[in-house]
Amino acid sequence: MVEERRILYEHLDVPDINTFDVFCQYDGYTRFEKAIAEYQPEDIAKMVMDSGLKGRGGAGFSTGLKWSFVPKDIKPCYLCCNADESEPGTFSNRYVLEKNPHLLIEGILICCYAMGIETTYIYIRGEFTLGKKMLDAAIKEAYEKGYLGENIRGTGLNVDIYSHPGAGAYICGEETGLIESLEGKRGQPRNKPPFPAVEGVFGKPTVVQNVETLCNLPFIVGNGVEWYTQMGPTYADTRANPPTPDPNTGTKLYCISGDVNEPGVYELDLGLTCTELIEVAGGLRGEEVKAVIPGGSSAPILTHYELDTRLDFTSLTLAKSMLGSGGIIVMNETRNIVDCLLNIMKFYAHESCGQCTPCRWGTPWVRDIVQRIADGEGRDSTITRPKFGIAENGRWGDTGETEEIYEDLDLLESVANNIANVDTMTWNTICVFGIAVSWPAVSYMRKFRPEFEAAIREGKLVTLPVAEATVPPEENYAYQQRFVPQEFADL
Amino acid sequence: MSDELIQIETPFAFNEENQREFDELIGRYPVKEAAMLPTLHIAQKQAGYITPAVMKYVAEQLEVSVMKVKDVVTFYPMFFEEPVGEYVIRVCHTLPCALRDCKVVLDHLKEKLGTDVASETNLAKGTTADGKFTLMKVECLASCDVAPVIMVNDDLYKNLTPEKVDELLAKLAS
Ligand SMILES: Cc1cc2nc3c(=O)[nH]c(=O)nc-3n(C[C@H](O)[C@H](O)[C@H](O)COP(=O)(O)O)c2cc1C
Ligand code: SF4
Ligand code: FES
Repeated sequence: MVEERRILYEHLDVPDINTFDVFCQYDGYTRFEKAIAEYQPEDIAKMVMDSGLKGRGGAGFSTGLKWSFVPKDIKPCYLCCNADESEPGTFSNRYVLEKNPHLLIEGILICCYAMGIETTYIYIRGEFTLGKKMLDAAIKEAYEKGYLGENIRGTGLNVDIYSHPGAGAYICGEETGLIESLEGKRGQPRNKPPFPAVEGVFGKPTVVQNVETLCNLPFIVGNGVEWYTQMGPTYADTRANPPTPDPNTGTKLYCISGDVNEPGVYELDLGLTCTELIEVAGGLRGEEVKAVIPGGSSAPILTHYELDTRLDFTSLTLAKSMLGSGGIIVMNETRNIVDCLLNIMKFYAHESCGQCTPCRWGTPWVRDIVQRIADGEGRDSTITRPKFGIAENGRWGDTGETEEIYEDLDLLESVANNIANVDTMTWNTICVFGIAVSWPAVSYMRKFRPEFEAAIREGKLVTLPVAEATVPPEENYAYQQRFVPQEFADL
Repeated sequence: MSDELIQIETPFAFNEENQREFDELIGRYPVKEAAMLPTLHIAQKQAGYITPAVMKYVAEQLEVSVMKVKDVVTFYPMFFEEPVGEYVIRVCHTLPCALRDCKVVLDHLKEKLGTDVASETNLAKGTTADGKFTLMKVECLASCDVAPVIMVNDDLYKNLTPEKVDELLAKLAS
């Protein structure tokens, strides 16, 4: 069985680790000391680049690369720590904030040193009252001990950290929504470009980074790049020919919930399979896995055929899903996928910020279609449309044949794809919330189409046995990427 | 009713403690407007909910128009424009909690409190007649490992069952 490797979470349960003194007994702030004593800021940025660290907040974008986009000559530059954690199924940042806030502060200090940043805002979810209390206490202590404020440790370095509470809107987790919200406005995402790295909060260059990403920094600096890159399976094999397939290094705070016996946060090397993770989390609660959501509710669903998929950034992208925030939700054989989709669509319909017409109208529309199907009132007239599958040239595409599909299922797919098209990966919206809506909608429907069809046919929700409910991989477009790129085959 | 009118018509101003908190806050940002969310949180803590008088006061403090404040207040679910109960009970109903039977908890709460669930535009619908509780549904509270969860004001309660809900309500009522 795969072993946990606790690095970020190693001292999480040490009593009083939230206080400065206890934190220092466990190497606290020594990595920051090392950074300022032994390295120039550019060295730190290079180490982060070489470490292959990818953002843990959702997009999985290379942190080193993001830092390299920040213009060096425009000051001030800001750091916004994204502690908005509202992706359903994700709960790892909460524990850092509540139990080990000094680790985050140390990570922020290292980032500030590397980037020449003097002001950091930690945008913390409004509901995290305990987390904010603990964090504020830790910030206060760090000021008192001379690790924050002016001329830190006599180096001439100035860093201020402020916590900033949100007020219950999911979209403020999106980086430009966060910036708008931080500026005191509605949290409505901005058009990109300009990216925040160039023009962010208060019109200045801004680095937006998730809590977990920042917590990795002390360990990269403290233990070195060599040590860091040994964690994660694919890096050693792929280092030779970057940039793709790209590195997946370090550990991940996997959050697992739903139908497992011991839900919780497990810190493991990136790249174990779904099956292994379920085993680590005390095994399945139930008889059979029906579906797994691998990266928070926005991620396309995986079926029981795909349980050998590795939970790392590259493998999940190849499986046409994503690691996202690392929130894994497991569903057993008793679950009805239509019902699950309805729950998720209610979430998105509630959380759309309302700026873009396709998202504002499309999301509730998708919800209403799913609601109708769940209520047994799905439209059962059928339409004929071109069938996609393995075409004559051996690739996925129009097969030249046609298929019959219930009107409502075609409508569901069409409305969702008009918010953001999951096949071409193009979106008609300002932010990728649009993708976060259509990805689940389309993937659930395509992969579990028999269950949707049964609900329409029978006029009520019908939970089919796993094997019957799931469309096999060779019959569905939703799995297409699993077949295409030969060069990635053995990842 | 008369209470409500008085609250709306009474001008609002921070008390001493909150004024101090606000003064400290405002120095954190290069523009005053950026202090909007924390300021509204403080104001709501003091006033119970965001009345027109509160909006006017906050607008003056941050040197923005009242409309801008209203704009923000209506966007964020955590700001209330109507009175709420002494205890605001937020029941998480997103997928991981749904997989752990949050509906049982919600139904039990509804029955025990004898109230419906508040909607964002009608908080009174979820508030008990004695004004003690407001029941509302919220999205994922980032505690799915201990689902189903609820929040009562600032405190999180985990792994709930109807029995635990009963204990909790008894504690709050006393
Ligand atoms: C709709 C939406 C919601 C998001 N929510 C969060 C969130 O709650 N927490 C987070 O860290 N990132 C969230 N993100 C990702 C951020 O936009 C951003 O990519 C991330 O904070 C960057 O930090 P990282 O590179 O360290 O991951 C969200 C993105 C989208 C599109
Ligand atoms: S896609 Fe949706 S959430 Fe994103 S900016 Fe547009 S309306 Fe807002
Ligand atoms: S779904 Fe309820 S806490 Fe996440």
